Amino acid sequence: MSSFEMRHPEEDALLRCLDGELSGRKARQVERHLGTCGQCRTELEELKGTIADCANYQAMLAANLPEPPQPWRDLYRDFSRIDESLANDSLLVRVTRSLVHSGAPRWAVAGVSALLVVMGVYYQLRQTPSVQAATLLKRAVAVAEAKPPAVRRHIRVRTGTQQFTRAVGPQVAMMPAAQTAALILLFQAAHYDWNDPLSARAFQTWRDAQPEKTDTVTKVSIPQLPAETCTRIRTEAVEGDLAAASITFTADLAPVEERLEFRDQEWVELTEIADPSTGSSGGSVAQSVEEPVRAAEPPSRSAALSPGPSASISDELQVLSALNLIGADLGDPVEEKLSNGKVVVTMYEGVPPDHQKAIQELATHMPNVEVRMEAQVAAPAPAAAASAPATNSGPAPIQSSVEKKLGSHAEFERFSGMVLDLDEQSMQRVYALRRLAQKFPPDSEAQLSSKDLDLLRELSRKHTAVLAEKVGAMEHILVPMLTSLGGTAANARPAVQHASWQPAAEDIYGASNRVHLLVTQMLGATVGDSAGANLPSNLQAALKDLQANLDDCRRLVK
Amino acid sequence: MAQLFVDTREDVYRYLLTLGVHPPKAQETVQEVFLRLYSTLRKGEKIESLRGWVFRVAHNLGLKVRARQETEEAFEPQLERQLTAPAETVEQDLLEREKMVRFHRAVEDLSEQQKRCLFLRMEGLHYPEIASTLGISASAVGEFLRRAFLRLRKVRDE
Repeated sequence: MSSFEMRHPEEDALLRCLDGELSGRKARQVERHLGTCGQCRTELEELKGTIADCANYQAMLAANLPEPPQPWRDLYRDFSRIDESLANDSLLVRVTRSLVHSGAPRWAVAGVSALLVVMGVYYQLRQTPSVQAATLLKRAVAVAEAKPPAVRRHIRVRTGTQQFTRAVGPQVAMMPAAQTAALILLFQAAHYDWNDPLSARAFQTWRDAQPEKTDTVTKVSIPQLPAETCTRIRTEAVEGDLAAASITFTADLAPVEERLEFRDQEWVELTEIADPSTGSSGGSVAQSVEEPVRAAEPPSRSAALSPGPSASISDELQVLSALNLIGADLGDPVEEKLSNGKVVVTMYEGVPPDHQKAIQELATHMPNVEVRMEAQVAAPAPAAAASAPATNSGPAPIQSSVEKKLGSHAEFERFSGMVLDLDEQSMQRVYALRRLAQKFPPDSEAQLSSKDLDLLRELSRKHTAVLAEKVGAMEHILVPMLTSLGGTAANARPAVQHASWQPAAEDIYGASNRVHLLVTQMLGATVGDSAGANLPSNLQAALKDLQANLDDCRRLVK
Repeated sequence: MAQLFVDTREDVYRYLLTLGVHPPKAQETVQEVFLRLYSTLRKGEKIESLRGWVFRVAHNLGLKVRARQETEEAFEPQLERQLTAPAETVEQDLLEREKMVRFHRAVEDLSEQQKRCLFLRMEGLHYPEIASTLGISASAVGEFLRRAFLRLRKVRDE
């Protein structure tokens, strides 16, 4: 056991650990310590009990403290006041400043300022686009909610690659059609309501969630309603998967058209139609549907899933892509394999609830996917097994040297925390990349369609790009330290150039494991044979090997 | 923004009551906080944690409001009276209520900083956010919370 594991953690470390306030490394140290110390485990249970008491106390407060005396104010009005005052302020400040700087006489500055104030009053009578948009949406939501709910509406959905009609409404079951699965994922990622997308409520909910946005409100005429003047709100968001959305309302505030532009260049257009058999709204929409305005880009998430009678490696790839999209391919205890004509996704204990939900959802929309829950955790990742349990009681000389170079134990902790976190993030990518390489060896890859091949390459590129970033950061921190400890990269192996990316990924796996083992030895998380004088050179050489393997792999997945 | 207001306003209101602000002022303060947030965002300022920001500004405004209340007493919710009010309850409930009264007294006996850290933690704020709200270091937050938990734990042992 290392010295870190033997010592009791600092007094506030257990509470910090329960509150998720410890760095990854420190939390692991505390967890390892808890595995061996009954006293601290009892302490932890006591703390959990007190935390539960606090939660009960908070519930009691919520039930017994007085309610707010008044109904909550509608803040939209105040927001519009703020918008106007900001607009006026900035104009006034800008113009006054430019006049003063231009050396205009004082009476002119005063005169122009007075004029601006008058203009400001006039301006207050009008509304800024954001207020107009918010007010319009609010009214449209109220109009929609005042109407009796339509049993079934039909919407034409058009993307860069497909076009179909969809029924929506309270009595319509979710359509598990394969063609919609990828779209559902797209909408989910963008936090846009897929169940009723062409509605003021869906647009308002998404718009309200955007911390930074720009609105424009315009009067437009649309081909399917040539006699009517419609109003279009377009909102551009700074963050999130959805870059911009525009919705068009009739004069009665009924939504008729919507266009969603996703950050990765995909777009979806939704049009309200009256009769799905003719695809027309008053007989005019079908004719008015134009060819896509942009050339159809190949979707990054495969938009058309076409499951055959039994699952193929293509389905498996779609599942891996979906897991990647959910974020469940980086360290979550999830396994997937082809079995009896199905892609079986097995979730073990420890998959975060939101990932579980998204994975279950996946099975609803992909006919060849089966999701299973298993209580037992899968076998530990090989990297953990490679770390031999530490048995010495004092810090290895290498740690003392590092600590000495850094000047204090606190600095050492900070340094090792940063390096171990980067190492862990790198290893997650290495496993995800290796999984892809093992699932799709060169001969299987040859069977994939060009679209699937693009998807596979995109996934591999994503993993290698993040890995390169993490390894780069690790080198940036480690190499100066290793050099100061007398290390050189002289023992690095000559770079090997592979013909395909899969063996290159396997080499990355080998090199990463060496780096992982040496890093953990250097920082005292494990002990091993090379924890001695050669470690700085060995680690520097291992980092160089990893970088060379990574360059080779990135060249091949370009 | 509107969603944040709906999701957070009751939490912030409750926090202000625990700070001693009277209900009408607490409600006004909550609304003022969200107007300030809107204004700050419209000016293009980046806010890392909106919830953290809201509680920090609410705390500071709440202290000012409470200071202006100097002629009157700080708001006291009389929770103990409510908890000990006679009611037809089964014995188990009675025991729970007694325990809650003891817990409430223990909370009341905490130092002001311990209490602030505890309430902000209960609202789901991270230590650095609590630290920024109270103008202390994150390690001090850890220490205040540790001491608070030590005292509250005794209620369980009684």
